[in-house]
Formats: sequence, structure tokens, C-alpha cells
Amino acid sequence: MLEFKNISKEFGPVKALSNINFRVEKGEIVGLVGENGAGKSTLMKIIFGAYQADSGTILIDGRQTRFTSPRDAMANGIGMVFQEQSLIGNLSIMENIFLGREHEFRKFGLLNFQKMESAAQQQLSKVGLKVDPRMQTFDLSFAQRQLVELAKVLTLEERTSRDLVILLDEPTSVLSEDEVELLFNLVNNLRSRAAFIFVSHRLDEVISISDRVYVLKDGEMVDEVSAQDADPAKIQSKMVGREIESGYYKQDERETYNEKETILSLKNVSKENSFESVSFDLHQSEVVCLVGTEGSGREAVLRCIFGMNNPDKGQIIYFQNDKIKIRSPFEAVNNGVGYMPRERKIEGIFASMNIAENITSSQMEKYSRYGFLHLTSEQDLARDWVDRLSIKTPSISTDCGRLSGGNQQKVVLAKWRSSGAELMMLDHPTRGLDIGAKQDVYSMIREMSASGVGLIVVPDTFEEAIGLAHTIFVMKDGACVKRFAPDKERVMPIDLVAAMT
Amino acid sequence: MKQNFKNLLKSNFNWVTLFALVLFVGFVDPNFWRPSSMLILLGDIVPLFVMALGLTFAIYIGGIDLSAQSMANMITVIASVYLASLGMWIVPACILTGAVLGACSGIITTRFLVPSFISTLAIGMVCYSLAQWLSGNRALYMNAEKRDALFGWMLSSTGIIPNTIFVGAGVFIFVLVIERKFVLGRRLKAVGSAELAAAASGIKVARVKVLAFALSGGLAALAGVIFSIKLSGGAPSIANGFLLPAIVAVLVGGTPLTGGVGGVVNTLVGTMIVAVIRASMLYLEVDATHQQMVFGLILITAIVFTIDRSKLTIVK
Repeated sequence: MLEFKNISKEFGPVKALSNINFRVEKGEIVGLVGENGAGKSTLMKIIFGAYQADSGTILIDGRQTRFTSPRDAMANGIGMVFQEQSLIGNLSIMENIFLGREHEFRKFGLLNFQKMESAAQQQLSKVGLKVDPRMQTFDLSFAQRQLVELAKVLTLEERTSRDLVILLDEPTSVLSEDEVELLFNLVNNLRSRAAFIFVSHRLDEVISISDRVYVLKDGEMVDEVSAQDADPAKIQSKMVGREIESGYYKQDERETYNEKETILSLKNVSKENSFESVSFDLHQSEVVCLVGTEGSGREAVLRCIFGMNNPDKGQIIYFQNDKIKIRSPFEAVNNGVGYMPRERKIEGIFASMNIAENITSSQMEKYSRYGFLHLTSEQDLARDWVDRLSIKTPSISTDCGRLSGGNQQKVVLAKWRSSGAELMMLDHPTRGLDIGAKQDVYSMIREMSASGVGLIVVPDTFEEAIGLAHTIFVMKDGACVKRFAPDKERVMPIDLVAAMT
Repeated sequence: MKQNFKNLLKSNFNWVTLFALVLFVGFVDPNFWRPSSMLILLGDIVPLFVMALGLTFAIYIGGIDLSAQSMANMITVIASVYLASLGMWIVPACILTGAVLGACSGIITTRFLVPSFISTLAIGMVCYSLAQWLSGNRALYMNAEKRDALFGWMLSSTGIIPNTIFVGAGVFIFVLVIERKFVLGRRLKAVGSAELAAAASGIKVARVKVLAFALSGGLAALAGVIFSIKLSGGAPSIANGFLLPAIVAVLVGGTPLTGGVGGVVNTLVGTMIVAVIRASMLYLEVDATHQQMVFGLILITAIVFTIDRSKLTIVK
């Protein structure tokens, strides 16, 4: 009854989705799986009307429609239960359920809360939640809030004559096993009221609840299987299986690292709500990749090493020197630790500063005397690095905001390379870059590794991890659960997925 | 070609505005174009200029300093009271007072995460109250002998150039060097451009911010000193009417409220625009009571045109 045909979406040069075909039948539960960045959220947002497809058609019961906004989509019976819950904590449950539609309870210009309460009660009974609708939402547990959210979406039943399709975005990510089971029972019971699209990275759950499973990969729909004959191993290989031309990750330039020279040592490091008891060593010239799902704590580990957050427990030893204590980025930079953040535009680059200014931003002491900047040596440095990394720019005094993403990333790398950082944290260094720029970043990682820098990388994809790393640590729910050594043994993406889920 | 011209026009919008205004007022009254009258105009605006230069630093890092006017008010009182006893030392003493109070705003903002508009507003109230207390809520007069001996030169002219212009130029060069040649200036720019990136580059963001507010406070104080010398006295509300034009000068010059771009050269142009607008209101016989209204409208227009919306997610 709901069908998407040949849907494509581009963000600048990045193809997020190409020619997606997707349909949902009445009362059906459809699973949608794919690794991080495969295009799941983009597809969800198109279904829910938050994004508009660049091309393709949307059919409801065979008739062509268009959603220009979530409001439109809702009017057509499509609702969404958000992963980041969309309820407002300081409003009551009933106010949340009827948010934006209070006028339905207006009487002489005043709100009739009694009527709202009984209406809310009715919605809550659909999801079997027995709480007082006048309760403040932040007093509920996470699972309860999710049910309220579902109840809110189910109000669409009364609002449209259409059949409902409800999107569930990673609904189980923070639920306990019992709660997951309750949710699944509920969803099954609601089949008569609505069809569901279930998005998750937990493959076993998706297979157990869905009738059909779609597999998304690099913005393309690579498989569609019915749940009866779904084979988790096969789906996993479809999720990650990518023919890589040899040398894409400059594997031949991966040299052996120096196992005798430890430059970073984590001993049972914990940070509340992020990760727990993480221990590993990083050696000279070694590239370590941290692999895991969103929220597995990988990024938080990097930030703790760089001093942006401080660990609650455990010990981090830098360069085998007990005396080095890093509690802030300032101390990290002074001790030769560099960090390339994930949000390049917000944390990585100074958009309104030129290349020279960006490169020296972490090492102004070196390019100044008595507080006076040494502008000519700074410009020489910038010129040198623009040449070395072949940064494409009209001049070294061009503002970095006007460079392409790949060239911005090169500027950030030039900053840390030129300041002599011996320990680098790279958080999604190739995110949003085209293939050519990605290769440039890989070359730079190799070059740093060859010159003795130890690197910890949070990669974008499994292939990237396997191609780049000497050592891979798989993180799951804040713990390091498995170690792989792709420089010595053959590691397949599927091995990583198996360890993650 | 056309595109280039458009870009050129856009990046020099402040200069274009200035020249258009000068031409316009000159057509209304050709006397305006006489160099001597223009120089007098510029000489008169020096206290405002100095205050605007200080404000530039607060706005450059993405904050605001609403205490500048009350600071100048208080300093006129302090300068009037202590000139007799301190003599020449009154100048550094006043600047130091302003810088310390500005740094307080900065510390409140960075340590307790109170937005700068409210921390500086609160410090401004403290200044205002101190001024009332110190002055007994009266207008005070300076020791005329001392003032003439120490600062009399400031009120005369060299040729047709009023000497206050030299004072303004000196302060301008000083802050320009800070902005362009000092590590501090670069750090201010980094914090204004992308605060999180600055932190990730190991810059001590909190300290940089405190220094920005200290600069703003110190320069507001210097503005107060110059103003009180010109008027030969002080009072707790004598500089009222400075704040709005000073903010206008910064924003019209091209330093947006979101920070990171612009700087003191922009403020120089912006202040001249403010001076011309003021003069034009005189020539066009706009009632004095209407002038703040005009500045209020210009302020909104300037913000709408200069603000960097990509940096804003929520505005309250």
C-alpha cells in the first residue's frame, strides 16, 4: 500500500541514496538493516517527509503523492518513533501526546484538560501503558517514554482515514531484553492497526520480528529477503560485502610497527555512561582502529585520551612516562597529542581563518616571540604544506571555509603534522569525502605511521578499518570485546560484525 | 566580471555605505564636505570610537559587552574625583579598573556559564551604582587647573586637526596591532571563528574570553576618561546614549554578532558611518529625541544583514 520507487537523494557530491525501491503492505512488519552510513536514516527521513527525494515517486495505494513535510506524511498516515526521543520532559504525558493539536480540546478558548486526559487514557490503553496521563514525562522510564511516543503516533488512527505506517528507528538500542520482548509483543498485536518499518543494527532482532528484511548498503538496496529464509550470515555479508580493489587503502604501504616502543597505554579506563574498563596499548607506527556501533563508546575513548573529557577510573600512560598527565586539550597538544574531530566544520576547521592561520592554531608559541606572531615564517610553513599535501586552494590566505571537505581535512592534518604530534586521534577522518580525497587521507595516515606516529582511528566502514589498521579493537556497549590483527591474519568485515552484535 | 563586481561590492559594503552617506549629506548641505567640518565631526566621535573598539573584541569572540556605557559613566566620575590627587596616573588607574571589571564579566561568563549579555549587564549595574554612590548622584567638575595642565592639549587643534583625533588614532593602531600581530589577536579570532575547534587545538578558550572582556572593559574606561576630559567633569549618566551607537558602529562596520570575522578596521568604518548618520540627523533637523529611534532601527538592520545564520541553531 505504501511504495517508494527509484528514490535517489544527493547531498552535494555525496550520493546518499540511489534508486531505492521499497514497499510496505498493510499490517506488515518490514525490517531495514545496513551499517553506519549506509543511508538508513536518510531513507527514513524521506519516508517521514523530513527530506525530499531528488527523484523517484511515492505511491500510496497506487496513487502518486508527495510529502513536503513530516506534517504531510502524518496526514497520509505515516508516523515515526524517534531514536532520540522527541517527547518534551517538562510537559505532562497528555500534553506530549496532543502536542500541536491542543485546539481539539478547546472550549471557549480555554483548554479542557479533563477531555484531554480521557483522550490520552484511550491512547495509552492502545499500548497497554498504565500511568497517570497528567504525570510529567521526565518521571517515566526510558521504555515507558518510548511507549508514550508510540501512543502519540497512534493518534494518527483517529486523524486520518489512511492505513498507518509507523517507523521505529532503533527502538531497542537502550532497552533491556524483557523490555524488548514486551515491545515486540505489542508491535505484533498492533499489526491490525498499523504496518511497521523496523530499523535496527541488531540483525537477530530484525529477523525475529519482521516479515521481510531490506538490506541497504552504500545508499543502494542490495537485498530483499523474507524473514523465513533469512540467513543472518548471508545478510551480514550483503551489508558489508564490497569488492575492494587491491591497494585502495594503501595496504602495501602498511609497514610493521615497533612492538617494543609503547607510546600509549590504557589501563582499565572507564568513563561513566560512555565506556568501561578499556585497556589496550598503542605502539610506535601502529594504526589502531576502534570498530563498533554508534554509541559503543569509541569516540569517547578518543576524547578522553585527548583530554577533552577526563576518565573516572583507570590510568592512561603517555609515552611510557608516568609524569605526563593530560587533563585538557591544552596539555595534550603540549605533549604531542593531536586530534582530528568528527565534526570537521565545527571542531576541526576555522572557517573564517586562512590556511596559514589554521595550520598554526595549535602551535602559536612556536610561531611567535614575546607574544608577537611571526607572520612570514607562518606563511612559509603554510606554503610548504600546501605543496606537500597538494592542497587545492587559490592561495594560502584563502579562508578555509571556502575549501572543499577533503582539502579542509588536509589542512587539519597539516596542522598536526607540522606541530610534530606523535600520537594522533582521528575520528571519522574520511566522513563525507569523495573517493579521491579519501585516498589522500589514507596516504597521509600511512605517511604518519611510517614516520613513527601512533594513530587511533575511528573509521567510517569496516573495510576502512581492515585496510588501514595493524590492530582492530571491536567495542560493544562501552567495552573492548575483541582484538583483530589484520596485518597478520585475514580479517573479513563479517568477523567484525559478528563480534559487534 | 559582473560576479567579481558583485563580490567586491559585497566585501566592501561598509565603505560603500560610508561614501554613499557622505555624498548624500553633502548634497543636502555642501558645508558638510569641507575638510574642517569633517575633522571636527571625527574629533567629536573619538570617545565613542574608543568604546566601540573595545566592544569589537567582545563581539569578535561571539559575545557582547553591555556594561561599556555604565563603565564609561563610572569612569567619568572616578576621573573627576581623583584627577586632583592622582594627576597623570588617573589614566592607567581608570583603564585598569575597567579591565578588572571587564575580566570579572569574562570570569562570570566562562566559569559559571552565564551568557555575556547578562553578566555584562549585571556588572554594568554595579558600575552605575558605584558611580551614583561616589558622586552622590550629582554632576562633578574636574580640577580645572590640573586638567588644563595635563590634558589641555587634547582640546586644542594642530592645524585644522583636532588633537583628540591623534588620541583615537593611537588607540586604533594599538588595537590593530593586538588584532593582527599578537598571538592574543589570533586566539581571539580562533575562538570567534569556531570555539570548539579552538579548544580542540589546545587553545585555553576561557582565558582568551576573559582577556577579550578585559580589553573591552579597559577601552570603555579609556573612552570614559577622554569623555570626562572633554567635558571637564563627570556624572553617573553623562555617557548615556553611547551604548547603542557603539554597538551599531561595530555591527555596521561588519563584525557580526556571531563573531569570527571583521575586526577593528571594520569598526573604524562603522564609527565613521555612525558619525555621518549623527551629522545627517543634525543637517536634516531630526529631533534629538528621535535619534535613538533611528539608531535602534539601524541596529536591527545591521544585525539582519551581518549575522552568520549557519552558526545559529536556536535564537531566544
